[in-house]
Amino acid sequence: MLRRFLPEIGIALGVAVLVLWSLGPIYWAIATSLTPLSEIGAKPFHFVPQHLTVNHYERLFGFGNDGAIWRQFSAALLNSVVTSVISTIVCVVLAALGGYAFARLNFPGRNTLFVCVVATLAIPGYAVLIPLYRLMIDLHLIDTYLGITLIYVSAYLPLALWMLRSVFQTLPISLEEAARLDGASRLGILFWIVLPIAAPGLTAVAILTFLGAWGQYIVPLIFSPTLKTKPMTVLIPEFATKNFTDYGMITASGTISILIPALIVVVLNRYLVSGLLAGSSK
Amino acid sequence: MRPLNTSTANQSRVGSHTDAVLGFLLTFPILVTMVSLVFYPLLVTMWDSLHRVKPTKPGTPFIGLENYAAIFNDGATLSAWTNTAIYVVIAVIAETSFGIVAALLLNKIKRGRRWLLAIVILPWALPGVVNSVMWLWIFNPAAGLLNGALTSFGFDFTNHLWFTGRVSSIAMVSVVHVWRMMPLTIVIILAALQSIPQELYDASRMDGARPVHSFFYVTLPLIRSAIAIAMTQSTVQAFNLFEEAWVLNGTSHDTRPILGQIYLETFQNLNFSYGMALSLMVTLLSLIVSLSFVMRVYRDTRLD
Repeated sequence: MLRRFLPEIGIALGVAVLVLWSLGPIYWAIATSLTPLSEIGAKPFHFVPQHLTVNHYERLFGFGNDGAIWRQFSAALLNSVVTSVISTIVCVVLAALGGYAFARLNFPGRNTLFVCVVATLAIPGYAVLIPLYRLMIDLHLIDTYLGITLIYVSAYLPLALWMLRSVFQTLPISLEEAARLDGASRLGILFWIVLPIAAPGLTAVAILTFLGAWGQYIVPLIFSPTLKTKPMTVLIPEFATKNFTDYGMITASGTISILIPALIVVVLNRYLVSGLLAGSSK
Repeated sequence: MRPLNTSTANQSRVGSHTDAVLGFLLTFPILVTMVSLVFYPLLVTMWDSLHRVKPTKPGTPFIGLENYAAIFNDGATLSAWTNTAIYVVIAVIAETSFGIVAALLLNKIKRGRRWLLAIVILPWALPGVVNSVMWLWIFNPAAGLLNGALTSFGFDFTNHLWFTGRVSSIAMVSVVHVWRMMPLTIVIILAALQSIPQELYDASRMDGARPVHSFFYVTLPLIRSAIAIAMTQSTVQAFNLFEEAWVLNGTSHDTRPILGQIYLETFQNLNFSYGMALSLMVTLLSLIVSLSFVMRVYRDTRLD
Protein backbone atom coordinates (compact mmCIF):
# COMPACT_ATOMS: atom_id res chain seq x y z
CA MET A 1 0.00 0.00 0.00
CA LEU A 2 2.68 2.47 1.00
CA ARG A 3 4.76 1.53 -2.06
CA ARG A 4 1.93 2.53 -4.34
CA PHE A 5 1.64 5.99 -2.88
CA LEU A 6 5.35 6.57 -2.46
CA PRO A 7 5.87 8.33 -5.82
CA GLU A 8 2.92 10.62 -5.20
CA ILE A 9 4.15 11.51 -1.73
CA GLY A 10 7.54 12.27 -3.26
CA ILE A 11 5.99 14.56 -5.87
CA ALA A 12 3.90 16.35 -3.25
CA LEU A 13 6.97 16.88 -1.09
CA GLY A 14 8.94 18.15 -4.06
CA VAL A 15 6.21 20.61 -4.99
CA ALA A 16 6.07 21.82 -1.39
CA VAL A 17 9.83 22.45 -1.34
CA LEU A 18 9.68 24.24 -4.71
CA VAL A 19 6.81 26.49 -3.63
CA LEU A 20 8.44 27.23 -0.28
CA TRP A 21 11.76 28.07 -1.96
CA SER A 22 10.11 30.32 -4.56
CA LEU A 23 7.60 32.12 -2.36
CA GLY A 24 9.24 31.97 1.08
CA PRO A 25 11.43 35.08 0.69
CA ILE A 26 8.56 37.03 -0.88
CA TYR A 27 6.18 35.93 1.87
CA TRP A 28 8.66 37.01 4.52
CA ALA A 29 9.00 40.50 2.99
CA ILE A 30 5.23 40.95 2.80
CA ALA A 31 4.74 39.55 6.32
CA THR A 32 7.35 41.95 7.73
CA SER A 33 5.71 44.89 5.96
CA LEU A 34 2.52 44.06 7.91
CA THR A 35 4.17 43.47 11.29
CA PRO A 36 4.09 46.25 13.94
CA LEU A 37 7.48 47.89 14.45
CA SER A 38 7.62 46.73 18.08
CA GLU A 39 7.26 43.09 17.03
CA ILE A 40 9.84 43.08 14.21
CA GLY A 41 12.78 41.07 15.48
CA ALA A 42 11.06 40.31 18.80
CA LYS A 43 11.93 37.09 20.62
CA PRO A 44 10.68 34.39 20.51
CA PHE A 45 10.73 34.15 16.74
CA HIS A 46 7.41 33.88 14.84
CA PHE A 47 6.93 32.77 11.24
CA VAL A 48 3.56 34.52 11.12
CA PRO A 49 2.98 38.10 12.31
CA GLN A 50 1.19 38.04 15.67
CA HIS A 51 -0.58 41.32 14.91
CA LEU A 52 -1.21 42.95 11.55
CA THR A 53 -0.72 46.63 10.81
CA VAL A 54 -0.69 48.93 7.79
CA ASN A 55 1.36 51.43 9.74
CA HIS A 56 4.48 51.02 7.54
CA TYR A 57 2.44 51.73 4.41
CA GLU A 58 0.83 54.76 6.10
CA ARG A 59 4.24 56.14 6.99
CA LEU A 60 5.46 55.44 3.45
CA PHE A 61 2.46 57.34 2.07
CA GLY A 62 3.21 60.27 4.37
CA PHE A 63 0.52 59.91 7.03
CA GLY A 64 1.68 61.06 10.44
CA ASN A 65 5.02 62.41 9.23
CA ASP A 66 6.24 65.33 7.11
CA GLY A 67 5.84 63.33 3.91
CA ALA A 68 9.50 63.55 2.91
CA ILE A 69 9.68 59.80 2.36
CA TRP A 70 6.52 59.80 0.30
CA ARG A 71 7.89 62.60 -1.90
CA GLN A 72 10.96 60.48 -2.63
CA PHE A 73 9.07 57.24 -3.01
CA SER A 74 6.29 58.59 -5.22
CA ALA A 75 8.81 60.33 -7.47
CA ALA A 76 10.77 57.08 -7.84
CA LEU A 77 7.58 55.09 -8.46
CA LEU A 78 6.54 57.56 -11.15
CA ASN A 79 10.02 57.41 -12.71
CA SER A 80 9.92 53.60 -12.79
CA VAL A 81 6.51 53.63 -14.45
CA VAL A 82 7.36 56.34 -16.98
CA THR A 83 10.71 54.94 -18.11
CA SER A 84 9.47 51.31 -18.30
CA VAL A 85 6.22 52.13 -20.09
CA ILE A 86 7.76 54.50 -22.62
CA SER A 87 10.65 52.20 -23.47
CA THR A 88 8.26 49.24 -23.78
CA ILE A 89 6.02 51.15 -26.19
CA VAL A 90 8.92 52.47 -28.28
CA CYS A 91 10.60 49.08 -28.32
CA VAL A 92 7.48 47.18 -29.39
CA VAL A 93 6.60 49.73 -32.08
CA LEU A 94 10.11 49.81 -33.56
CA ALA A 95 10.45 46.03 -33.40
CA ALA A 96 7.01 45.45 -34.95
CA LEU A 97 7.69 47.77 -37.89
CA GLY A 98 11.26 46.57 -38.33
CA GLY A 99 10.43 42.92 -37.72
CA TYR A 100 7.82 43.04 -40.47
CA ALA A 101 10.29 44.67 -42.87
CA PHE A 102 12.91 42.02 -42.05
CA ALA A 103 10.38 39.20 -42.46
CA ARG A 104 8.47 40.26 -45.56
CA LEU A 105 10.07 43.15 -47.48
CA ASN A 106 13.02 42.75 -49.81
CA PHE A 107 15.49 45.57 -49.58
CA PRO A 108 19.25 45.72 -50.09
CA GLY A 109 21.27 45.01 -46.97
CA ARG A 110 18.33 43.42 -45.19
CA ASN A 111 20.07 40.33 -43.91
CA THR A 112 23.32 42.11 -43.04
CA LEU A 113 21.51 44.67 -40.95
CA PHE A 114 19.42 42.02 -39.21
CA VAL A 115 22.41 39.86 -38.33
CA CYS A 116 24.33 42.92 -37.06
CA VAL A 117 21.47 44.01 -34.81
CA VAL A 118 20.77 40.53 -33.41
CA ALA A 119 24.50 39.85 -32.88
CA THR A 120 24.48 42.62 -30.25
CA LEU A 121 22.48 40.24 -28.03
CA ALA A 122 25.83 38.65 -27.27
CA ILE A 123 27.31 41.96 -26.09
CA PRO A 124 26.62 42.73 -22.43
CA GLY A 125 25.49 46.25 -21.64
CA TYR A 126 28.60 47.21 -19.70
CA ALA A 127 30.77 46.93 -22.82
CA VAL A 128 29.13 50.11 -24.13
CA LEU A 129 28.17 51.80 -20.86
CA ILE A 130 31.22 54.00 -20.40
CA PRO A 131 31.18 55.62 -23.87
CA LEU A 132 27.40 55.98 -23.50
CA TYR A 133 27.97 57.83 -20.24
CA ARG A 134 30.24 60.36 -21.92
CA LEU A 135 27.90 60.59 -24.93
CA MET A 136 24.95 61.32 -22.64
CA ILE A 137 26.95 63.98 -20.80
CA ASP A 138 27.82 65.66 -24.11
CA LEU A 139 24.19 65.56 -25.21
CA HIS A 140 22.96 66.76 -21.76
CA LEU A 141 20.82 63.63 -21.48
CA ILE A 142 22.02 62.48 -18.05
CA ASP A 143 19.08 62.34 -15.64
CA THR A 144 16.46 62.77 -18.38
CA TYR A 145 13.64 60.42 -19.38
CA LEU A 146 14.85 60.66 -22.98
CA GLY A 147 18.36 59.48 -22.13
CA ILE A 148 17.23 56.54 -19.98
CA THR A 149 14.57 55.49 -22.47
CA LEU A 150 17.04 55.56 -25.37
CA ILE A 151 19.43 53.28 -23.49
CA TYR A 152 16.66 50.82 -22.57
CA VAL A 153 15.38 50.76 -26.14
CA SER A 154 18.84 50.07 -27.54
CA ALA A 155 19.28 47.30 -24.96
CA TYR A 156 15.95 45.50 -25.48
CA LEU A 157 15.38 46.17 -29.19
CA PRO A 158 17.53 43.31 -30.57
CA LEU A 159 15.66 40.61 -28.64
CA ALA A 160 12.28 42.20 -29.47
CA LEU A 161 13.19 42.40 -33.14
CA TRP A 162 14.44 38.83 -33.24
CA MET A 163 11.29 37.51 -31.56
CA LEU A 164 8.85 39.49 -33.69
CA ARG A 165 10.57 38.62 -36.95
CA SER A 166 10.20 34.92 -36.16
CA VAL A 167 6.55 35.49 -35.18
CA PHE A 168 5.86 37.23 -38.51
CA GLN A 169 7.70 34.54 -40.45
CA THR A 170 5.52 31.79 -39.02
CA LEU A 171 2.27 33.56 -40.02
CA PRO A 172 0.70 32.13 -43.19
CA ILE A 173 1.66 34.34 -46.12
CA SER A 174 -1.50 33.42 -48.06
CA LEU A 175 -3.57 35.83 -45.95
CA GLU A 176 -1.31 38.71 -46.87
CA GLU A 177 -1.26 37.73 -50.54
CA ALA A 178 -5.05 37.61 -50.62
CA ALA A 179 -5.21 41.09 -49.09
CA ARG A 180 -2.71 42.38 -51.63
CA LEU A 181 -4.83 41.05 -54.49
CA ASP A 182 -7.71 43.00 -52.98
CA GLY A 183 -5.55 46.10 -53.30
CA ALA A 184 -4.44 46.54 -49.68
CA SER A 185 -1.19 48.43 -49.15
CA ARG A 186 1.77 46.94 -47.28
CA LEU A 187 1.18 49.13 -44.24
CA GLY A 188 -2.54 48.43 -44.37
CA ILE A 189 -1.78 44.71 -44.30
CA LEU A 190 0.65 45.17 -41.42
CA PHE A 191 -1.78 47.15 -39.27
CA TRP A 192 -5.06 45.41 -40.09
CA ILE A 193 -4.02 41.81 -40.68
CA VAL A 194 -0.54 40.96 -39.41
CA LEU A 195 -0.40 42.83 -36.09
CA PRO A 196 -3.79 41.58 -34.81
CA ILE A 197 -2.80 37.96 -35.48
CA ALA A 198 0.62 38.54 -33.91
CA ALA A 199 -0.91 39.95 -30.70
CA PRO A 200 0.38 37.11 -28.45
CA GLY A 201 3.91 37.66 -29.75
CA LEU A 202 3.62 41.41 -29.25
CA THR A 203 2.41 40.78 -25.70
CA ALA A 204 5.35 38.50 -24.96
CA VAL A 205 7.81 41.10 -26.26
CA ALA A 206 6.11 43.85 -24.27
CA ILE A 207 6.25 41.78 -21.07
CA LEU A 208 9.93 40.93 -21.44
CA THR A 209 10.86 44.54 -22.23
CA PHE A 210 8.77 45.93 -19.40
CA LEU A 211 10.13 43.50 -16.80
CA GLY A 212 13.67 44.16 -17.99
CA ALA A 213 13.30 47.93 -17.77
CA TRP A 214 11.41 47.78 -14.45
CA GLY A 215 14.19 45.73 -12.84
CA GLN A 216 17.14 47.68 -14.25
CA TYR A 217 19.63 48.79 -11.64
CA ILE A 218 23.08 49.51 -13.04
CA VAL A 219 21.86 51.79 -15.86
CA PRO A 220 19.84 54.14 -13.63
CA LEU A 221 22.57 53.93 -10.97
CA ILE A 222 24.83 55.67 -13.49
CA PHE A 223 22.40 57.70 -15.58
CA SER A 224 19.81 58.76 -12.96
CA PRO A 225 21.68 60.52 -10.14
CA THR A 226 18.69 62.49 -8.79
CA LEU A 227 15.01 61.94 -8.15
CA LYS A 228 14.29 63.67 -11.46
CA THR A 229 14.53 60.22 -13.07
CA LYS A 230 15.73 57.87 -10.29
CA PRO A 231 13.59 54.70 -10.26
CA MET A 232 12.53 52.55 -7.29
CA THR A 233 15.26 50.00 -7.94
CA VAL A 234 17.86 52.63 -7.04
CA LEU A 235 15.89 54.26 -4.22
CA ILE A 236 14.99 51.09 -2.26
CA PRO A 237 18.58 49.94 -1.60
CA GLU A 238 19.33 53.51 -0.48
CA PHE A 239 16.53 53.11 2.08
CA ALA A 240 18.04 49.82 3.17
CA THR A 241 21.61 50.94 3.60
CA LYS A 242 21.72 54.68 4.21
CA ASN A 243 18.73 56.37 5.80
CA PHE A 244 17.58 53.93 8.44
CA THR A 245 17.33 50.27 9.19
CA ASP A 246 13.56 50.51 9.36
CA TYR A 247 12.72 47.15 7.87
CA GLY A 248 8.99 47.75 8.15
CA MET A 249 9.23 50.60 5.68
CA ILE A 250 11.86 48.88 3.53
CA THR A 251 9.75 45.77 3.08
CA ALA A 252 6.64 47.91 2.50
CA SER A 253 8.38 49.78 -0.32
CA GLY A 254 9.78 46.51 -1.69
CA THR A 255 6.30 44.96 -1.67
CA ILE A 256 4.92 47.85 -3.71
CA SER A 257 7.76 47.58 -6.21
CA ILE A 258 7.15 43.86 -6.81
CA LEU A 259 3.39 44.28 -7.14
CA ILE A 260 3.37 45.07 -10.86
CA PRO A 261 5.84 42.35 -11.97
CA ALA A 262 4.01 39.82 -9.78
CA LEU A 263 0.66 40.75 -11.35
CA ILE A 264 2.18 40.37 -14.81
CA VAL A 265 3.48 36.90 -13.98
CA VAL A 266 0.17 35.77 -12.51
CA VAL A 267 -2.10 37.19 -15.22
CA LEU A 268 0.07 36.87 -18.32
CA ASN A 269 2.28 33.87 -17.50
CA ARG A 270 1.32 32.02 -20.69
CA TYR A 271 2.77 34.78 -22.88
CA LEU A 272 5.72 35.18 -20.56
CA VAL A 273 6.73 31.53 -20.86
CA SER A 274 6.56 31.61 -24.66
CA GLY A 275 8.60 34.80 -24.63
CA LEU A 276 11.21 33.36 -22.28
CA LEU A 277 11.63 30.32 -24.51
CA ALA A 278 11.97 32.41 -27.66
CA GLY A 279 14.41 34.71 -25.90
CA SER A 280 16.57 31.95 -24.50
CA SER A 281 17.08 29.96 -27.68
CA LYS A 282 18.91 32.81 -29.32
CA MET B 1 -0.34 39.25 -75.04
CA ARG B 2 2.84 41.21 -75.15
CA PRO B 3 1.72 44.53 -73.63
CA LEU B 4 0.00 42.70 -70.80
CA ASN B 5 3.25 40.94 -69.89
CA THR B 6 5.21 44.16 -69.80
CA SER B 7 2.63 45.80 -67.64
CA THR B 8 2.68 43.03 -65.03
CA ALA B 9 6.47 43.03 -65.11
CA ASN B 10 6.45 46.78 -64.62
CA GLN B 11 3.96 46.53 -61.86
CA SER B 12 5.96 43.98 -59.92
CA ARG B 13 9.10 46.05 -60.36
CA VAL B 14 7.26 49.10 -59.08
CA GLY B 15 5.98 46.91 -56.25
CA SER B 16 9.42 45.66 -55.25
CA HIS B 17 10.78 49.20 -55.53
CA THR B 18 8.20 50.52 -53.08
CA ASP B 19 8.85 47.46 -50.92
CA ALA B 20 12.52 48.38 -50.77
CA VAL B 21 11.76 52.01 -49.90
CA LEU B 22 9.29 50.92 -47.24
CA GLY B 23 11.81 48.42 -45.89
CA PHE B 24 14.39 51.19 -45.49
CA LEU B 25 11.85 53.47 -43.84
CA LEU B 26 10.67 50.85 -41.37
CA THR B 27 14.16 49.76 -40.32
CA PHE B 28 15.78 53.20 -40.40
CA PRO B 29 14.93 54.04 -36.74
CA ILE B 30 16.46 50.71 -35.68
CA LEU B 31 19.59 51.42 -37.70
CA VAL B 32 19.98 54.88 -36.14
CA THR B 33 19.37 53.59 -32.60
CA MET B 34 21.76 50.68 -32.87
CA VAL B 35 24.55 52.57 -34.63
CA SER B 36 24.51 55.52 -32.25
CA LEU B 37 23.87 53.67 -28.98
CA VAL B 38 25.57 50.28 -29.49
CA PHE B 39 27.95 50.02 -32.46
CA TYR B 40 29.55 53.44 -32.09
CA PRO B 41 30.02 53.11 -28.29
CA LEU B 42 31.40 49.59 -28.77
CA LEU B 43 34.01 50.89 -31.21
CA VAL B 44 34.84 53.70 -28.78
CA THR B 45 35.28 51.11 -26.02
CA MET B 46 37.73 49.13 -28.14
CA TRP B 47 39.60 52.24 -29.28
CA ASP B 48 39.75 53.93 -25.88
CA SER B 49 40.86 50.74 -24.14
CA LEU B 50 44.16 51.23 -26.01
CA HIS B 51 44.51 54.78 -24.72
CA ARG B 52 44.80 56.45 -21.34
CA VAL B 53 41.40 58.01 -20.83
CA LYS B 54 41.21 59.51 -17.36
CA PRO B 55 39.32 62.77 -16.72
CA THR B 56 41.77 63.66 -13.94
CA LYS B 57 44.73 63.58 -16.34
CA PRO B 58 45.11 65.76 -19.46
CA GLY B 59 45.25 64.20 -22.90
CA THR B 60 44.44 60.70 -24.10
CA PRO B 61 47.79 59.24 -25.22
CA PHE B 62 48.02 55.88 -26.97
CA ILE B 63 49.34 53.29 -24.52
CA GLY B 64 48.86 50.06 -26.45
CA LEU B 65 47.94 47.09 -24.30
CA GLU B 66 48.96 48.74 -21.01
CA ASN B 67 45.39 48.70 -19.67
CA TYR B 68 45.13 45.01 -20.45
CA ALA B 69 48.48 44.27 -18.83
CA ALA B 70 47.41 46.21 -15.73
CA ILE B 71 44.49 43.80 -15.27
CA PHE B 72 46.94 41.05 -14.35
CA ASN B 73 48.93 43.21 -11.93
CA ASP B 74 46.02 44.48 -9.90
CA GLY B 75 45.19 42.49 -6.79
CA ALA B 76 41.66 43.90 -6.44
CA THR B 77 40.86 43.04 -10.04
CA LEU B 78 42.29 39.56 -9.74
CA SER B 79 40.25 38.83 -6.63
CA ALA B 80 37.15 40.12 -8.44
CA TRP B 81 37.93 37.74 -11.33
CA THR B 82 38.22 34.87 -8.87
CA ASN B 83 34.89 35.77 -7.27
CA THR B 84 33.16 35.94 -10.64
CA ALA B 85 34.67 32.59 -11.65
CA ILE B 86 33.33 31.06 -8.43
CA TYR B 87 29.89 32.59 -9.03
CA VAL B 88 29.84 31.17 -12.56
CA VAL B 89 30.80 27.67 -11.42
CA ILE B 90 28.30 27.63 -8.53
CA ALA B 91 25.50 29.17 -10.58
CA VAL B 92 25.91 26.82 -13.55
CA ILE B 93 26.15 23.68 -11.40
CA ALA B 94 23.35 24.60 -8.98
CA GLU B 95 20.94 26.04 -11.52
CA THR B 96 21.43 23.16 -13.96
CA SER B 97 21.16 20.29 -11.48
CA PHE B 98 18.33 21.68 -9.32
CA GLY B 99 16.70 23.13 -12.44
CA ILE B 100 16.55 19.71 -14.10
CA VAL B 101 15.07 18.15 -10.95
CA ALA B 102 12.46 20.92 -10.68
CA ALA B 103 11.59 20.65 -14.38
CA LEU B 104 11.16 16.85 -14.11
CA LEU B 105 8.90 17.43 -11.13
CA LEU B 106 6.79 20.04 -12.93
CA ASN B 107 6.55 17.73 -15.94
CA LYS B 108 4.86 15.14 -13.70
CA ILE B 109 2.21 17.60 -12.54
CA LYS B 110 -0.90 17.46 -14.66
CA ARG B 111 -3.34 19.74 -12.83
CA GLY B 112 -2.55 23.33 -11.96
CA ARG B 113 0.83 23.31 -13.65
CA ARG B 114 0.22 26.77 -15.05
CA TRP B 115 -0.10 28.22 -11.57
CA LEU B 116 2.83 26.30 -10.20
CA LEU B 117 4.91 27.55 -13.12
CA ALA B 118 3.82 31.12 -12.36
CA ILE B 119 5.01 30.69 -8.77
CA VAL B 120 8.32 29.25 -9.92
CA ILE B 121 8.92 32.08 -12.43
CA LEU B 122 8.13 34.82 -9.90
CA PRO B 123 11.68 35.26 -8.46
CA TRP B 124 13.06 35.81 -11.96
CA ALA B 125 10.47 38.46 -12.80
CA LEU B 126 11.13 40.68 -9.79
CA PRO B 127 13.80 43.39 -9.81
CA GLY B 128 17.16 41.92 -8.85
CA VAL B 129 17.91 44.64 -6.31
CA VAL B 130 14.57 44.24 -4.57
CA ASN B 131 15.22 40.48 -4.35
CA SER B 132 18.58 41.25 -2.82
CA VAL B 133 17.06 43.65 -0.28
CA MET B 134 14.50 40.99 0.69
CA TRP B 135 17.32 38.47 1.23
CA LEU B 136 19.39 41.04 3.12
CA TRP B 137 16.51 41.13 5.59
CA ILE B 138 16.32 37.32 5.67
CA PHE B 139 20.07 37.16 6.48
CA ASN B 140 19.74 39.87 9.17
CA PRO B 141 21.70 38.55 12.19
CA ALA B 142 19.34 39.68 14.95
CA ALA B 143 15.88 39.50 13.41
CA GLY B 144 16.21 37.67 10.08
CA LEU B 145 14.20 34.68 8.94
CA LEU B 146 17.20 32.42 8.44
CA ASN B 147 18.61 32.66 11.98
CA GLY B 148 15.09 32.67 13.40
CA ALA B 149 14.13 29.50 11.53
CA LEU B 150 17.39 27.69 12.34
CA THR B 151 17.07 28.63 15.99
CA SER B 152 13.45 27.47 16.22
CA PHE B 153 14.48 24.14 14.70
CA GLY B 154 16.94 23.70 17.55
CA PHE B 155 20.19 24.99 16.02
CA ASP B 156 21.52 27.96 17.91
CA PHE B 157 22.14 30.53 15.21
CA THR B 158 21.10 33.54 17.33
CA ASN B 159 22.88 36.63 15.98
CA HIS B 160 24.95 34.52 13.57
CA LEU B 161 26.71 36.75 11.00
CA TRP B 162 26.49 35.34 7.47
CA PHE B 163 28.71 37.97 5.90
CA THR B 164 31.92 37.34 7.77
CA GLY B 165 34.51 35.31 5.97
CA ARG B 166 34.74 34.79 2.27
CA VAL B 167 33.26 31.30 2.00
CA SER B 168 30.06 32.14 3.83
CA SER B 169 29.67 35.51 2.08
CA ILE B 170 30.12 34.08 -1.41
CA ALA B 171 27.76 31.21 -0.61
CA MET B 172 25.03 33.62 0.51
CA VAL B 173 25.42 35.87 -2.55
CA SER B 174 25.26 32.75 -4.74
CA VAL B 175 22.07 31.52 -3.07
CA VAL B 176 20.33 34.79 -3.89
CA HIS B 177 21.60 34.72 -7.47
CA VAL B 178 20.54 31.11 -8.01
CA TRP B 179 17.14 31.89 -6.48
CA ARG B 180 16.63 34.58 -9.10
CA MET B 181 18.04 32.81 -12.16
CA MET B 182 17.00 29.17 -11.74
CA PRO B 183 13.47 29.80 -13.13
CA LEU B 184 15.01 30.42 -16.54
CA THR B 185 16.69 26.99 -16.50
CA ILE B 186 13.46 25.33 -15.32
CA VAL B 187 11.38 26.90 -18.09
CA ILE B 188 13.87 25.98 -20.82
CA ILE B 189 14.22 22.35 -19.69
CA LEU B 190 10.51 21.90 -19.01
CA ALA B 191 9.74 22.96 -22.58
CA ALA B 192 12.20 20.37 -23.91
CA LEU B 193 10.69 17.68 -21.65
CA GLN B 194 7.23 18.41 -22.97
CA SER B 195 8.35 17.97 -26.55
CA ILE B 196 9.39 14.34 -25.89
CA PRO B 197 6.69 12.03 -27.27
CA GLN B 198 5.08 9.75 -24.66
CA GLU B 199 5.49 6.74 -26.99
CA LEU B 200 9.22 6.74 -26.37
CA TYR B 201 8.64 6.20 -22.66
CA ASP B 202 6.00 3.56 -23.33
CA ALA B 203 8.39 1.74 -25.65
CA SER B 204 11.25 1.80 -23.17
CA ARG B 205 8.95 0.58 -20.39
CA MET B 206 7.82 -2.31 -22.59
CA ASP B 207 11.47 -3.14 -23.13
CA GLY B 208 11.69 -3.50 -19.37
CA ALA B 209 13.57 -0.26 -18.63
CA ARG B 210 13.21 1.10 -15.12
CA PRO B 211 12.43 4.82 -14.66
CA VAL B 212 16.10 5.55 -13.89
CA HIS B 213 17.13 3.91 -17.14
CA SER B 214 14.59 5.69 -19.25
CA PHE B 215 15.79 8.97 -17.73
CA PHE B 216 19.40 8.32 -18.79
CA TYR B 217 18.69 6.67 -22.14
CA VAL B 218 15.55 8.48 -23.31
CA THR B 219 15.13 11.80 -21.50
CA LEU B 220 18.68 13.02 -21.07
CA PRO B 221 19.83 12.65 -24.70
CA LEU B 222 16.71 14.44 -25.90
CA ILE B 223 17.03 17.44 -23.57
CA ARG B 224 20.76 17.82 -24.01
CA SER B 225 20.62 20.84 -26.29
CA ALA B 226 18.11 22.50 -23.94
CA ILE B 227 20.55 21.91 -21.08
CA ALA B 228 23.32 23.53 -23.12
CA ILE B 229 21.13 26.57 -23.78
CA ALA B 230 20.22 26.77 -20.09
CA MET B 231 23.87 26.53 -19.09
CA THR B 232 24.74 29.31 -21.52
CA GLN B 233 22.06 31.49 -19.93
CA SER B 234 23.34 30.69 -16.43
CA THR B 235 26.89 31.55 -17.47
CA VAL B 236 25.99 34.90 -19.00
CA GLN B 237 23.83 35.83 -16.01
CA ALA B 238 26.52 34.86 -13.50
CA PHE B 239 29.10 36.94 -15.36
CA ASN B 240 26.59 39.80 -15.06
CA LEU B 241 26.11 39.29 -11.31
CA PHE B 242 26.13 42.70 -9.64
CA GLU B 243 23.06 43.64 -7.61
CA GLU B 244 23.24 40.67 -5.24
CA ALA B 245 26.85 41.30 -4.19
CA TRP B 246 26.32 45.07 -4.04
CA VAL B 247 23.23 45.08 -1.84
CA LEU B 248 24.19 42.17 0.41
CA ASN B 249 27.84 42.91 1.08
CA GLY B 250 28.65 46.33 -0.41
CA THR B 251 32.04 46.80 -2.03
CA SER B 252 33.76 44.13 0.11
CA HIS B 253 36.57 42.29 -1.68
CA ASP B 254 35.14 39.03 -0.34
CA THR B 255 32.22 39.15 -2.72
CA ARG B 256 32.94 41.93 -5.22
CA PRO B 257 32.29 40.57 -8.72
CA ILE B 258 34.11 41.74 -11.82
CA LEU B 259 31.21 44.00 -12.75
CA GLY B 260 31.51 45.70 -9.36
CA GLN B 261 35.21 46.19 -10.04
CA ILE B 262 34.45 47.77 -13.43
CA TYR B 263 31.90 50.06 -11.81
CA LEU B 264 34.27 51.21 -9.06
CA GLU B 265 37.27 51.67 -11.37
CA THR B 266 35.19 53.64 -13.85
CA PHE B 267 32.82 55.76 -11.83
CA GLN B 268 34.73 56.10 -8.58
CA ASN B 269 38.41 56.03 -9.57
CA LEU B 270 37.55 57.48 -13.01
CA ASN B 271 39.88 55.07 -14.80
CA PHE B 272 37.67 55.11 -17.89
CA SER B 273 39.93 53.25 -20.28
CA TYR B 274 40.93 50.63 -17.70
CA GLY B 275 37.24 49.96 -17.07
CA MET B 276 36.72 49.61 -20.81
CA ALA B 277 39.56 47.11 -21.18
CA LEU B 278 38.09 45.12 -18.27
CA SER B 279 34.57 45.13 -19.72
CA LEU B 280 35.84 43.90 -23.09
CA MET B 281 37.71 41.07 -21.35
CA VAL B 282 34.55 40.01 -19.48
CA THR B 283 32.52 40.13 -22.67
CA LEU B 284 35.05 37.96 -24.46
CA LEU B 285 35.33 35.44 -21.62
CA SER B 286 31.59 35.07 -21.10
CA LEU B 287 31.18 34.52 -24.86
CA ILE B 288 33.90 31.86 -24.92
CA VAL B 289 32.53 29.95 -21.93
CA SER B 290 28.95 30.13 -23.23
CA LEU B 291 29.94 29.03 -26.72
CA SER B 292 31.91 26.10 -25.33
CA PHE B 293 28.69 24.54 -23.93
CA VAL B 294 26.91 24.95 -27.23
CA MET B 295 29.86 23.66 -29.26
CA ARG B 296 30.17 20.56 -27.08
CA VAL B 297 26.59 19.63 -27.70
CA TYR B 298 26.96 20.19 -31.44
CA ARG B 299 30.09 18.07 -31.60
CA ASP B 300 28.57 15.25 -29.55
CA THR B 301 25.43 15.29 -31.64
CA ARG B 302 27.45 15.07 -34.83
CA LEU B 303 29.45 12.11 -33.50
CA ASP B 304 26.23 10.31 -32.63
